[in-house]
Amino acid sequence: MKALLLSLMLLVSLCPVANAAQLNMLPSKESNQVELNIWGAANFDAIEPLLKAYQAQSPDTTIVYVEHSSLELFNRVLSIQPTDKKPDVIMSPAMDLQFKLVNDGYAMPYRSEVTDALPQWAKWRDEAFGFTFEPIVMVINQDILGNLAMPESREALLSLIRERSPLVQGKVGLSDIETVGLGYLTWFHDSQQSRTYGRLLEAFGSHHAQLYPNSSAMLQALLRGDIFIAYNVLGSYAFEWSQNYPWIRTVMPTDYTSVVMRTAFIYHEASNMPQAEFFLDYLLSDDGQNILATASSLIPLSESVTGTSSLSEIRRRPHGIFRPIPFGLPLLVQTDQAKRSLLLEEWRHAMRIGP
Amino acid sequence: MRTKPTSIRRQLLVMTLIVLTVINGVAIWAAELYANRAAKLSYDRLIHGAALQIVENINLLDRKVIVDLPVSAFETLALAPEDRAYYSVTSEAGSLLTGYSDLPSSTYVTASDAKAQENSSSPIYFDSFYRSENVRFITITKRLIESDYSEIVHVTIGQTTQARQQLADEMGGLVIQFLITFFCITLGLLMFGIWRVLRPLKSLRRAIELRSSTELTPLNTDVPSEIRPLVETVNYFMSQLNITLERLKRFTSEAAHQLRTPLAGVNLQAQNALIENDASKRQTQLQDIINSSELLTDTIHHLLEEATLTHRMRSQAFGDVQLDRLTKDVCRSLVVWALESEVEIEYLGQSSISCLGDDVALTQMLRNILENAVKYSPKHSVVEVNLYREKDLICLTVADQGNGISDEDKQHVFERFYRSKHNHTVGTGIGLSIAKEVAEHHGARLILTDNQPRGLLIKVVFEANGETV
Repeated sequence: MKALLLSLMLLVSLCPVANAAQLNMLPSKESNQVELNIWGAANFDAIEPLLKAYQAQSPDTTIVYVEHSSLELFNRVLSIQPTDKKPDVIMSPAMDLQFKLVNDGYAMPYRSEVTDALPQWAKWRDEAFGFTFEPIVMVINQDILGNLAMPESREALLSLIRERSPLVQGKVGLSDIETVGLGYLTWFHDSQQSRTYGRLLEAFGSHHAQLYPNSSAMLQALLRGDIFIAYNVLGSYAFEWSQNYPWIRTVMPTDYTSVVMRTAFIYHEASNMPQAEFFLDYLLSDDGQNILATASSLIPLSESVTGTSSLSEIRRRPHGIFRPIPFGLPLLVQTDQAKRSLLLEEWRHAMRIGP
Repeated sequence: MRTKPTSIRRQLLVMTLIVLTVINGVAIWAAELYANRAAKLSYDRLIHGAALQIVENINLLDRKVIVDLPVSAFETLALAPEDRAYYSVTSEAGSLLTGYSDLPSSTYVTASDAKAQENSSSPIYFDSFYRSENVRFITITKRLIESDYSEIVHVTIGQTTQARQQLADEMGGLVIQFLITFFCITLGLLMFGIWRVLRPLKSLRRAIELRSSTELTPLNTDVPSEIRPLVETVNYFMSQLNITLERLKRFTSEAAHQLRTPLAGVNLQAQNALIENDASKRQTQLQDIINSSELLTDTIHHLLEEATLTHRMRSQAFGDVQLDRLTKDVCRSLVVWALESEVEIEYLGQSSISCLGDDVALTQMLRNILENAVKYSPKHSVVEVNLYREKDLICLTVADQGNGISDEDKQHVFERFYRSKHNHTVGTGIGLSIAKEVAEHHGARLILTDNQPRGLLIKVVFEANGETV
């Protein structure tokens, strides 16, 4: 455990692209204030509408939202000292890391009408709760297609890379799975699911795939023309971008579409427990889910809400079988340091990164 | 203070309830025990399976241990969906290869156990408190072998006990539900059974209730064999009561008859005496009246005596009676009265004899027999009283030298108010019948025989149930 922690921290500290935590504050205008401390991995832009809507409901709350990369968030939670300021709610799409934290007892169980209404697969032990349903997509600059059809599956993507081999050399973008929790999670899921995984790894390696610290950075690179293809990008961001920039096309692979769930839990030593519970209820309530669907790019879990980024809207687009990553004990394998080093070794070898 | 009458129905119900409660209590206890065991066993198998899958995926490569955790192992663990799981893979030296570093260790640290483990490769289970929860752990040991190198690894998996507790509760709950149903049904059936069994008693009560107070014929209600003796006893008692009532009725009418006749005689004599002018004749008549009234007094005396004795014989328990002393006392008390009639009473008994009986009644019996004997004895004769043992029997004889009685009369002499036609002596006709009743009450026989050379010999034969002192 400590070995893992040390190695991860070492990785984080050594990695030049790792973001430092960004602190965002939504101060309350009331004189009698309480503070709600949220640690999350979502972009502040994406989560801000929800936080604002919550603050409108409970105006005496000053919301502090600290944004981390998902791996960073995990390590920071592990290294909280007794004297440190404690977070109240922790949210992240890195399901494996979230699960590990919950399994190891960092979450406070909570039950309410709202959490009881969640489907069984979207929560664990009444401690962690899923609140978004985000397909993992590939994003392609359609200018490179020429007369070729838009690749709808991984198989088609591989043929595209083969066809346009000189063009896409160094122009494929991936999450750096060594530093990006979500990248590791989705890559691991691919390794379990897909027969194309080996060929993908091979193709990405031979075409010198570029590694990025998060989905947004990858999309920006795509926009700049640094890369033409981005693989395993969070759907919530990608759909928003391809809406703004029509030549950027978002594809949900039709062979299967991985789905990750952002999960939230109340930190077991939350300094403001009632606010944390109140916020969690809001996040999972129809009101909160509606805000996500309409005002934010995040795709809420609830089937009943409608909006530009709602589940019903996503289902209308072409997609493969949705394969949500199950939020349960098998995620522990992903956090295993031995397994991780096996996978990373394979990865480094393919990406031609020195040991 | 009267104690509350016991109710068979209530006793049966209470006993049934106690038995059922005890049985169900034991069954529930056993069910809990079994449910816990079964749940433990099934979830132990689960973590055993998971551990085996992990062990399968540990290999040696160039003297390096490669741990490639299979997802399926954790999918197995996830069959208990709400339980946390912990795992670790450690080398023989105890250094962590992967997993949780702070898992509690089992006994595998001791060398001998480790040896045993290697050979049997059987898992070690243990319970521990880890991260503020009860956790069930399993440790499996495996020896990894490469051509010239081997290494021992321990795989430990821990799982919280929520699911097994839930399963145990579920199974236990099911059994408890079944037992409660069983309890209710059994109780209902038993209550019905008790009602059925006790129904004959109710019908018996109704049969008795429906009778008039004078009806004493036997009860014919159909009852189970257990209650039959009771009904027979009641019937026997009623027949006894019937006999007693009959006897009383007869006695009353006879007594009335016997008293009315002498009273009418006295009345007539008194009227005659009233109109008699001859002083000497009147003297005789008055003497007759006195004699008649004395006889009447005797009769009344006997009747009362009989009534007293009858009551006494019903109510008094037998005691130890010194028969010889009693006989002597009676003889002594009558000897003066006998001498007035110039008759002697002679007691010939030698041995000292005792028996079980009622001394007052026996005294009365002997007295009546003796009085009778003296009455019928001629002047200057002797009445001989004897008491002796004859084998198992005790014999008491009273012999006079009177005229004796004819064989025909012998059959009737014990009947109440019987007077022989040939008998001219004054008497009530009750004395001997009392004697007979007392003798029968003691299980003794009264035998009348002729005395030699003349007279009557009355013999009372007791079963020798007393002791000779």
